[in-house]
Amino acid sequence: MNASNLRALVAEDEPILAYALVQALNRLWPDLQIGAVVDNGVAAVQEALAQRPDILFFDIKMPGKTGLEAAHELAEEWPEDSPFPLIVFVTAYDQYALEAFEQAAVDYVLKPVNDARLLKTVERLQARLGQDKERGDELERVLGQLRTLMPAPPAATERLSMIRAAVGNQIRLIPVNEVLYFEATDKYVNVVTAESESLIRTSLKELTPQLDPNQFWQIHRGTLVNVSCIHAATRDESGKLSVKLRNRPESLPVSRVFAHLFRQM
Amino acid sequence: MRPEPATENTIGMNSASSKMSRARPLLRQFLIGFALITLLNIIIAIVITYLMHVGRSFLQNLVISMCIGWISDILIDGSRLILWGPKRPPLLPFIGLWIVGIPIAQKSGNALASKIIGVPTERIDAVRSENAVAFIVLTILVCFFISFLFWSRMKLQKLMAEAEAEKSRAAAIERQAMQAQLQLLQAQIEPHMLFNTLANLQGMIAMDPSRAQHMLDQLILYLRATLSSSRADVTTLAHEFSLLEAYLGLMSVRMGARLSYSLQLPDALRQRQVPPMLLQPLIENALKHGLESKIDGGHIEVVARMAGDALTLTVTDTGLGLDPLVPAPKAPGSGVGLANVRERLQALYGERATFSLIPNTPAGVIAQLTIPS
Repeated sequence: MNASNLRALVAEDEPILAYALVQALNRLWPDLQIGAVVDNGVAAVQEALAQRPDILFFDIKMPGKTGLEAAHELAEEWPEDSPFPLIVFVTAYDQYALEAFEQAAVDYVLKPVNDARLLKTVERLQARLGQDKERGDELERVLGQLRTLMPAPPAATERLSMIRAAVGNQIRLIPVNEVLYFEATDKYVNVVTAESESLIRTSLKELTPQLDPNQFWQIHRGTLVNVSCIHAATRDESGKLSVKLRNRPESLPVSRVFAHLFRQM
Repeated sequence: MRPEPATENTIGMNSASSKMSRARPLLRQFLIGFALITLLNIIIAIVITYLMHVGRSFLQNLVISMCIGWISDILIDGSRLILWGPKRPPLLPFIGLWIVGIPIAQKSGNALASKIIGVPTERIDAVRSENAVAFIVLTILVCFFISFLFWSRMKLQKLMAEAEAEKSRAAAIERQAMQAQLQLLQAQIEPHMLFNTLANLQGMIAMDPSRAQHMLDQLILYLRATLSSSRADVTTLAHEFSLLEAYLGLMSVRMGARLSYSLQLPDALRQRQVPPMLLQPLIENALKHGLESKIDGGHIEVVARMAGDALTLTVTDTGLGLDPLVPAPKAPGSGVGLANVRERLQALYGERATFSLIPNTPAGVIAQLTIPS
């Protein structure tokens, strides 16, 4: 193992905590290079993709994106040609997160960070980085964990049967059954049917629990597709998966996180 | 399938036991009344025999007195309990009951007694008419005595019921107050906030011990103020603002350059009395939903001023604002604090206090309270 090549990225929005974590890492693991320290989730994804570090220390509660959302996005966007980084979550007190991480066995560190506990994490990371063959599996492992960490389909509050979309100064009613797919844009969700596209002012996160999980599958961070309208799923030369729809010309990309939905029976 | 019959069972048992518990005090009331009447009958027999010197013997007089007394008690008190239960009977029908009941009891009591002692009813009536005035006076005295006994008992029952109701009302109010206090405590000393602050302290001790000392002082001030003010009913604006200053001080250490703040409290308002912890939830809300999740952070301004007679408290932030995509009451953890503020204002001042949340320009939220003097 060529230790001097190992690089880490720290994402922590509280400056003193970021500083303290970097200090502690320098103390406990002098060979590790801290490539960048960022203070929000958006920058964390950008920097990680740009620098492709070996280890990510992600705070859970960050502005822009949570640590979990950032990890999810990285798992979708990470290029094939470099090994997926090992992720360590750092959190103050979050019952939900703790339970989820313990189950999924992603390593995590509690704030206030204590040197003895951090040393254990360092040793665990070193052990895993030492075994080169395991590094190729890291993405698969994280994908598996992210799937278990994804919020289970929440208890059906009330299922939507109609989508009310504003088009100009009229409200158009779109039966949910006619929707081919929902696509998240910056602040809106694009509702696509065979004949029309309309924007609604909501987020995919809020919309998802109101839809039947057996009718609409999430195939990407920003896409929910009506299963009955999928014609076929195809894989291109570079291995990227996408689905073709029955009544629309476009095909929709399927992210790695959701690729397992299209494995043959 | 199973729970349903069980529920029915409990309901059945409940109604049966409630019938029993209603019947039992009625029977008790009747028996107490019966005992009192028996005592009264003995006194009347003594009075007639030894004071008025009427009749042949005490025993005969006692039998007559008992017969008339018991029959009138069974007739009048029994009818009362059947007709009106334990409640106070309406006056006129009750007097009517007496007017009808007394002659019937007199006639049938006489008849029964004459059977028992073997003296014809005419003899008894004759003795009575010989001493008509004394008997009328006696009857009136007895009626007064019974009425007095009856009304005083009703009165006592009513007073006792009122005392009981008052006691349970006081207990309910106390329970609510305790609950509100607990909620406040839980809301203020949120574990996430506490652990993050401690983590910052830990980091700062190595970096800058004197700043760490200052931060620890603020944490102590904040914890002490939180604990003491959630117990008090009123506090001063000066105290509230020192608490806000400590809280914002801690948060600005944590958030670094992402948070700036200013507090404006005119000297004239420093000693002004306010309910504790009204502003704190507003600031927490501004941080949680406005600034903490905004990448660039922002500014919080807290202002107290008089607008006419009313005190106006304003918390302005430049955060993410009232985003229609994430309605504030739906976001996790919010709503509780603001709902609490709204409820407390309503309970303390009714319609005279107001609370509003409006968008700030270009971004953020303005939360405003007005409290009447």
